[in-house]
Amino acid sequence: MWETIIVNPFTNVLLLIYKLIGGNFGIAIILFTILIRLITHPLMAAQIKSSTKMTEFQQSKQWQDIQKKYKGDKEKLAQEQMNLYKELGISPFASCLPSIIQIPLIFGLYQSIMRALAPTPGQLLIMTRVVYPFFHLAALVPLNSKFLWMNLGQPERVYMFGVGIPLLAIIVALTTYVQSKVTMPASTNPGDQGAQMNKMMALYMPLLLGYFALTFASGLSVYFITGNLIGVAQYALLGKVNWRALIPGYKPDTTALVRNK
Amino acid sequence: MKIKFLVLVGLLLVLAVLLGGCATGLSASSWPGVTADTNYAYIAGGPYVYAVNLQTGAEVWRFPAKAATSTPYYATPALTPDGQLIVGSFDHKLYSLNTQSGAENWVFDQAKDRWIGGVLVTSDTIYAANADYKLYALSFTGTLKWVTPFQADQAIWGSPVSDGTNVYFGTLGRHVYAVNAQTGRQTWVQTVDGAILGSPVLGLDNTIYVGTYGGVLVSLNTGNGSILRQETASSWIWHGPAQDGTNVYVGDANGKFYAFPMTGTGQPWTQQLNGAIVGSPLVWDSTIIVGTESGNVYFIDNTGQNVRPVTVPGKIYATPAAAGTLVLIAPTSGTNLLVALDQNGAVKWSFTPAK
Repeated sequence: MWETIIVNPFTNVLLLIYKLIGGNFGIAIILFTILIRLITHPLMAAQIKSSTKMTEFQQSKQWQDIQKKYKGDKEKLAQEQMNLYKELGISPFASCLPSIIQIPLIFGLYQSIMRALAPTPGQLLIMTRVVYPFFHLAALVPLNSKFLWMNLGQPERVYMFGVGIPLLAIIVALTTYVQSKVTMPASTNPGDQGAQMNKMMALYMPLLLGYFALTFASGLSVYFITGNLIGVAQYALLGKVNWRALIPGYKPDTTALVRNK
Repeated sequence: MKIKFLVLVGLLLVLAVLLGGCATGLSASSWPGVTADTNYAYIAGGPYVYAVNLQTGAEVWRFPAKAATSTPYYATPALTPDGQLIVGSFDHKLYSLNTQSGAENWVFDQAKDRWIGGVLVTSDTIYAANADYKLYALSFTGTLKWVTPFQADQAIWGSPVSDGTNVYFGTLGRHVYAVNAQTGRQTWVQTVDGAILGSPVLGLDNTIYVGTYGGVLVSLNTGNGSILRQETASSWIWHGPAQDGTNVYVGDANGKFYAFPMTGTGQPWTQQLNGAIVGSPLVWDSTIIVGTESGNVYFIDNTGQNVRPVTVPGKIYATPAAAGTLVLIAPTSGTNLLVALDQNGAVKWSFTPAK
């Protein structure tokens, strides 16, 4: 089921793009990432909208009053919170849905890249069976796995003075960090759990994706970097990028938030 | 919020585990390679290389003592005249093992990619082709004989062959190379219509045959690389052909098995077998033995008249190996790692490694 609905179509789309652009697998991954992002853009827009609503909710006087009122009754506080969510049309899970959708996409893409590059006989044999009949696979094999300085089917290292530097993993970690920081909603409330979670994600996600980039085929890193850059571009198009968040010691403009309330 | 965070972290951890599984992908990476001497069968079958007693089917030794998931062995092992077993691994290393004990003699670690095909051993040299596009010539102590390994255009998955003058091999880049066996310099290179995944076979009268992923059996002149003849199969050819001095035999993805005469006097024949043919055929006296993906081993008379199928549990991708009066079959995804059949196709013993 997973193979039929995710991995096989992904593999075929990747091969189609590869064929159309004249045999550059790195460019094929980049274009495929853009395609995926375009398809999931409505979800991303919904996530941004939901995050904004959630931030406003956290800052609202109504919510702060309820917190004070039910300070000693956690059960009642949770109940009132849910009622308020319903009243304001906020879905508490809407803001993390696109992130969750990314997970099967990442997994499917990784399998597709490895399958299409077919670095082993077993993977080539499987690819032979899953490629749609209109492809003349014999004319495509072997796929060109070289892109810039990388072999897309292998983890990447740049050797300097005999030491392998994982340049791509560093770029993945850096772009993930930048994306998290500049797209993080501003918060004035030090007790805001959402803001705390975002801060933790901004710290852990670069490390996690950096680890993936360090360990797995560099084609996946190309996907991560492209995805991060497009993610920032998507936020920028919707006017939600805060570049000042990259400045060390930056504090959100509380007066602006208060004024907006 | 805490629940959301935990869900996200949990899913990311699942992703890490799943990606980790993909990276090793042992079961899908390749299939076993098998060879034999007078006493033992040697099988490179995933995390271990095994020596199996040919009389009893019992395990004699395994290498390494403790398996590493990132180090699968699939390349067909090869024996040297001085009693070494040479086997490559997916960890880019080529190992020399003691055939009696499985102890490591030496390791060649200068290759940059997987060892997929087996090595060619001559009286004094090991010719080892790697997926890093290079052909290495090594002494029996594991040192380089050519100062610079021969650089081809693409990955080499098949074993090389040699006529003493040149070493011949094909690449995934659709080229057949002849390289001087002594100097490592290119004698000629020829382009064919598809990737070459398997090994060439030397024919008669200065000819060499290769099967291509484009589904063509190509005959070339060993002197200058010119294409002498091309025979079209119904689909891709994987591991390459075999020959018995009369015919050259090859199977394809559609299960079609072909005999093409090597001289003008023979008669061609074909047999439709059940399942894709991935491994090379084995010529065993006047019988041709070939395995199929559907788990059948076919014993075919060299005239193509008498076809006897034997069912072995699993898929047969590996080329069968002859060992005295036995033929060794290494199925994939079956219950056994190795099955020994006699001349009538009866199972003499089967080997399943102890955990």
